Amino acid sequence: MLKAQSSLGVIFFPAYDWAISPTHPEREERLLYTQDQFREEGLFDIDGISEYRPLFATDQDIMRAHFCFPSVDHICTESHRISAGGAIQAARLVLEEETKRAFALVRPPGHHAMKVVHGNRGFCNINIEAVMIEWIREHYGRKRIAIVDTDCHHGDGTQDVYWHDPDVLFISIHQDGRTLYPGSGFPHENGGPRALGRTINIPLPPRTSDEGYLYALENIVLPILADFKPDLVINSAGQDNHYSDPITNMQFSAQGYARLNELLKPDIAVLEGGYSIKGALPYVNLGICLAMAGCDYSAVREPDYNAAALREDPDTMDYIKQMSGHLRDVYFHPERGDFEKQGEYFIRERKVFYDTDGILEKQREELKDCEHCRGLRIIHTSTDRILPCLGVELPIDCCPACEREGYEVFNKKNDAFLVAQMLDQKNKQYRYRPKR
Amino acid sequence: MRIGIDIGGTHTDGVLIDGTRLVAAAKTPTNHDNLLESISQVLHSILATQDPTSVQTLNLSTTLSTNAIVTGKIDAVGMLVVGGPGIAPETYRIGNHFHLISGSLDHLGTPTSELDEEELEEAINSCCDQGVTCFAVASKFSPRNPVFEDRMLEQLRERADFVSSGHLISGQLNFGRRIHTAYYNSAVNRTFRSFSTALSASLKGFALQAEVNILKADGGTMPLTRALETPVQSIFSGPAASVMGILATTPADTDLLMLDIGGTTSDIALFASGQPLLEREGIAIDGHHTLVRAIRVESIGIGGDSLISIDANGVQTGPQRLGPCMATGGSAPTLMDALNVLDLADFGSVQRSREGMEELASKHDLSPHQLAQDAVDAALSAISGKIKALIAQVNAKPVYTIQEILEDREIAPKKIIVIGGPASVFKKLLQDRLNMEVIIPPLHGVANAIGAALTRSTSHLSLSANTARRQLSVPMLGIFRTIPRDFNLDAAIEEAQSLLAADLKQAGILIPPDEMQITQADSFNMVEGSYTSGKNIRVVAQVQPAVVAQLDASAAEISITGQP
Repeated sequence: MLKAQSSLGVIFFPAYDWAISPTHPEREERLLYTQDQFREEGLFDIDGISEYRPLFATDQDIMRAHFCFPSVDHICTESHRISAGGAIQAARLVLEEETKRAFALVRPPGHHAMKVVHGNRGFCNINIEAVMIEWIREHYGRKRIAIVDTDCHHGDGTQDVYWHDPDVLFISIHQDGRTLYPGSGFPHENGGPRALGRTINIPLPPRTSDEGYLYALENIVLPILADFKPDLVINSAGQDNHYSDPITNMQFSAQGYARLNELLKPDIAVLEGGYSIKGALPYVNLGICLAMAGCDYSAVREPDYNAAALREDPDTMDYIKQMSGHLRDVYFHPERGDFEKQGEYFIRERKVFYDTDGILEKQREELKDCEHCRGLRIIHTSTDRILPCLGVELPIDCCPACEREGYEVFNKKNDAFLVAQMLDQKNKQYRYRPKR
Repeated sequence: MRIGIDIGGTHTDGVLIDGTRLVAAAKTPTNHDNLLESISQVLHSILATQDPTSVQTLNLSTTLSTNAIVTGKIDAVGMLVVGGPGIAPETYRIGNHFHLISGSLDHLGTPTSELDEEELEEAINSCCDQGVTCFAVASKFSPRNPVFEDRMLEQLRERADFVSSGHLISGQLNFGRRIHTAYYNSAVNRTFRSFSTALSASLKGFALQAEVNILKADGGTMPLTRALETPVQSIFSGPAASVMGILATTPADTDLLMLDIGGTTSDIALFASGQPLLEREGIAIDGHHTLVRAIRVESIGIGGDSLISIDANGVQTGPQRLGPCMATGGSAPTLMDALNVLDLADFGSVQRSREGMEELASKHDLSPHQLAQDAVDAALSAISGKIKALIAQVNAKPVYTIQEILEDREIAPKKIIVIGGPASVFKKLLQDRLNMEVIIPPLHGVANAIGAALTRSTSHLSLSANTARRQLSVPMLGIFRTIPRDFNLDAAIEEAQSLLAADLKQAGILIPPDEMQITQADSFNMVEGSYTSGKNIRVVAQVQPAVVAQLDASAAEISITGQP
């Protein structure tokens, strides 16, 4: 009988009764063939690999990570709570040391969901990794966490959630944003004024294959992780870099994915995108599970796999090699971006489009440039559908002045906001202002 | 009338039941070198004053196949395996004639590389040269497409005495288990066949004309003719017989537990709303997982003869057994002796129990009473720990739909049914420890044979359909045929039920359609690019384990012939 070198808990939740719409890529069928492959391979007969069911994320779990407007229920259905609950189960297994590692193979995904949520962006409503990370910090205290987002699309949601948080290192490797949704994820996006160099973006040219991808991993990601020394490494494990994925242009393989996880050694992996449900997912998921468990994955390959035909051209390799030195500097010697400042506040004003739901959000973020803590954050947001809402965030190290000011803003009477939400990491208070 | 016989590791038990009334019961030590002799002895006792021709059914639970496998008294099997990419098929090597043949199917059953005919021929020749006549064939994803297994079967037809084909034994996906299940099925074939021949002759000698069924590990039966094709299904039927005995003697419609206390080990089973829970995929034997459906029974190394020892962690009870308890002539104190010392039991020579306990206690500066108390506590802790873990595991079992997560009911047994020799001794102890109602059913000494007598046939099949490819497959029945493009879930459910009914009817079993359960019914839209190309439909139908009658509890207890 096969034995896992490191025990692995797999939270397999295919949500066989949920779809965005009947022919949407994010539909019931998505993990069906992965399950067939797992069953046929007897994955859960391997000594040390076990299957678990997801937990269920509560309002509090979600409100630790997000400003949901107008309410959590308006944003989340049960499917999102269970998907996030799957990620929480993965974290619980690892932090309680029930298993060495865990893989939340759950849907729907979450990495395009930002700090403020009004609806679905890029198939995501809530950011399941962020809900998980906040759950970890709530129950196990402050931690240094590295998220490596290996989905083919830039993890703009996760980047946004942790933009100002120096405890969380976010690294996204993805197909160049000039060629793919969501069109962001460039090296100059390197973190907010108080978390410079804690966001790293590695855009790879289309048609990058195993060699180029793994080169970037070994020469950019791993040296940065070695320096950051995180308590936990999380793989935001999208599978759409695969050569057969219908909505991207990369040439990564199941072997490449397995090797990636062997090198990265994530404590927790969480499934993100990946929509080649017959040609890629069964093999990629098997490869990831075996690699995470430290089992031999050398014979896992797609039926039509042809390494020579998939290899990137020499120009692509040269380009990746050339940019890797520069990208390491984004972490080691981060350049300060152009941060707009009004008085003692950093200001960000932007528009966010929710492609799935067709919502346009207008947002103004104020971050206090505080000498004593990371600074109070105040967000004003409205969309073409709802009146302005208010979000107030107090950081975990919040100073008394910011705390006082935050609660003043939150409790202010006769303001123009439809809804106000407090996200107080210091005192662990997450709530909406009662309606008057 | 019905006869039930359970050949166990220690005893062979037999009962004769008329409707709901127990007519006769007998017990005899099992003669492992001659099981037929044990069967004859109990038949002799229970038929002593009865007309054998009025017996319609004889259900037999036997350790024959299990023992053959665990003692290695099995036939050489030529195991022909077609693997392909994925976990190395070498992982599943079993027996001395294991051959890997190139070829592969994907998860939809599409051949992605052809079967290597030369390698196949070489493998068969190599086996034949070494005198192998029993074979088993298994290919990865054969339930999706049996083409490679069928081809191997064809090549073996002239040269093999018996061939087990993976997809015909189980329609479930699990390549490693398929290999091992097919292997064991062929490995015990000859042993089972010769037993069956001798059994038939012996039954004629008793003038019995009853139909003969063999118990399976899932608590149901299969006709003897079916058992000759799939003898592997008869492994581990003993614990299943006990579980069915519970259903036959105790009204059970709630969540409850069963504890069968033996000499060396005790078995624990869990019932949800009165239904025994099955293993998720199948039972393991001799360290190998199989696809043999089985009632989930957890064993724990605690029994009446469990040795009491003292180490750095304090007083331990079990899991070792050196011999019987001192009260019946053993050489070291056991759990039964502790119960004697505490005046909870009065078994054999209580004096010898006391002496043994005193001797061990004095070596460790303990009073004999304290030692006995600690030993009983240790046993109860082990049992209650195991029960809690089992309940937690069952409640944590994976589910795959949102509806199941939201609606799943937690299994929370409030009752425990205790059977086995020392059952009554444990009644109050378990009641206090588990905080559950403890029930000791009447006639628990032969509950297993009662279960065997009263259980009915079980069967199951899995059907899958792919309307894009217009394919329908029911692997276990060897059905792979074309369907119309508008085939849908309702049609699939109907088809599964009627195929299961027809198959059972062919085996001489009539089961009303409303007693057939559909345990899975899913239909997935298959999308190619941006259009819906068809539906992927999965249906599992089963006849679940059940008893044909409840034993009349009000009837006077009868004596069990051969019971000490």
